[in-house]
Amino acid sequence: MSNTTSTPPAVALSGLRKHYGAVAAVDGVDLVIRPGEVVALLGPNGAGKSTTIDMILGLTAPDAGQVRVLGRSPAAAVREGAIGAMLQNGTLLDDLTVGETVRLVASLHRHPMPVERALRRAGAEDLAHRRANRLSGGQSQRVRFAIALVSDPELLVLDEPTAAMDPATRRDFWKAMYEDTAGGRTVLFATHYLEEAEEYADRVVLMNGGRIAADGSVAEVRAAAGGRTIRAVIPGTDEAALRVLPAVTSCAFRGARAEIASADSDATLRALIERFPAARDIEVAAAGLESAFLSLTAETESAR
Amino acid sequence: MNLTYARIELKRAFRNPRFMIFAFVFPVFLFLLQTNVFITDGDPGKATATGVIMVNMLAFGVFFAAMSNGGRLATERAAGWQRQLRLTPLTGRGYMFGKGLTGLLLGVPVLVAVPVLAVLANGVELDAAQWTRILVGTWLGAIPFVLLGMLIGQLARPDTLQPLNMGLSLVMGFLGGMWIPVDTMPTWMQQVAPILPSYWLMQPGRGAITGDLSRSLGLTAAVLAAWAIVLGGLVIWRYRKDAARA
Repeated sequence: MSNTTSTPPAVALSGLRKHYGAVAAVDGVDLVIRPGEVVALLGPNGAGKSTTIDMILGLTAPDAGQVRVLGRSPAAAVREGAIGAMLQNGTLLDDLTVGETVRLVASLHRHPMPVERALRRAGAEDLAHRRANRLSGGQSQRVRFAIALVSDPELLVLDEPTAAMDPATRRDFWKAMYEDTAGGRTVLFATHYLEEAEEYADRVVLMNGGRIAADGSVAEVRAAAGGRTIRAVIPGTDEAALRVLPAVTSCAFRGARAEIASADSDATLRALIERFPAARDIEVAAAGLESAFLSLTAETESAR
Repeated sequence: MNLTYARIELKRAFRNPRFMIFAFVFPVFLFLLQTNVFITDGDPGKATATGVIMVNMLAFGVFFAAMSNGGRLATERAAGWQRQLRLTPLTGRGYMFGKGLTGLLLGVPVLVAVPVLAVLANGVELDAAQWTRILVGTWLGAIPFVLLGMLIGQLARPDTLQPLNMGLSLVMGFLGGMWIPVDTMPTWMQQVAPILPSYWLMQPGRGAITGDLSRSLGLTAAVLAAWAIVLGGLVIWRYRKDAARA
């Protein structure tokens, strides 16, 4: 992370702001994505993910701050075909076949990859002769993935690419994405499926209220949100008694089992066993990204 | 804009049944119908009347091609396709220029079919100068309508587009004299018709056929050019507004 090379970052955002009327959609974002990273942009609806992405793509001009993509302005990067993107809510043209659609986009780029290769990489080669209005939600997303790939971009930006997909299609999609990025493409994807971020991203950037709430590897983001969950059957106690144990951030009962979130599970556990020697069936687990997500977004919410 | 892109754009239009019906089948059919119903064989004005109807249908064909071409702007914007294209090296200007060009090219099939039919089925005989004036005049005269179609495409949503285009076609078609010849209009309508640009779209061709109720080529060119400048200005204004909002 510390060694700086002459290669410019794939994405560099500094002091980025965008207001819509009185609403600050993006409220001071600084972010550097290095070439080859696969980054998940997480956050609840309205967190500013799509606005941030639109500014990276040059579709929206920031009110303040700077966007550099591969050391250039977004417009310059787009002109060179260095950015491929799947936009949210995009549809295809009903009166064209899939093959024609991808060929049309390819024809506009200077150094496109062969249309067949883009379709194959996106897992859409068998759809080439199909009209766009005859595609399922998952199929049309794959075609849009092929459109994003056809310029052979260095940076791939996917705004909630799997939103319309069932779980099986979603897995296929990510498999295709993963195979493609083995070649070293940088990927930034927005999602609100936490498991997608956990499974496919090297790095998670969590946004809330237009700001970055957490940024790091999946493990780091989890740790930032308080680390571990302790589950145990603890006879003769209640929530209040458990809450005063060291390092406990929250506590709840699921039936007979207590579920204790802790910032320092070792300290909590020592105290727990000392005070409640009857505690049994003890389990210590890393908190899922889900609970990290909830606690971090709650934190930034209350800090505002 | 390149060849592949232009070819695919044209292909899209020809696949659209509505486009084919209104911009091609309908003018051809109306030409055959009107020349068979309104003109009898012994009529001394037969050649002129046939020529006038032919010119009217050419105007109608290029008019509808232009409107339908512009309508695709609205669908492409609503589908998010314009945003997708903004992620390619195609500039907004290139996109609009391409749309203008396809709007003109889509008028070509009717400009070929109706005259061929007029010659073969109706025995229309004109010299090269007359044909040139009719075909080139009507084709270039389509420019303000291509711009009008694009303007509507920029302003309308896909669901408001159909009624808007239909209403406009009715007004331009009937009052402008494309569907009923100016010759058969009552005097007050003949006086009102020149307000509409569609009246002037028929004038280059009509002037080649008959001097009756025709305007000079210079005046016609000036009026159509004025419409093109006004509508082109509005298209550019709207385009800038759209681009600034993004």
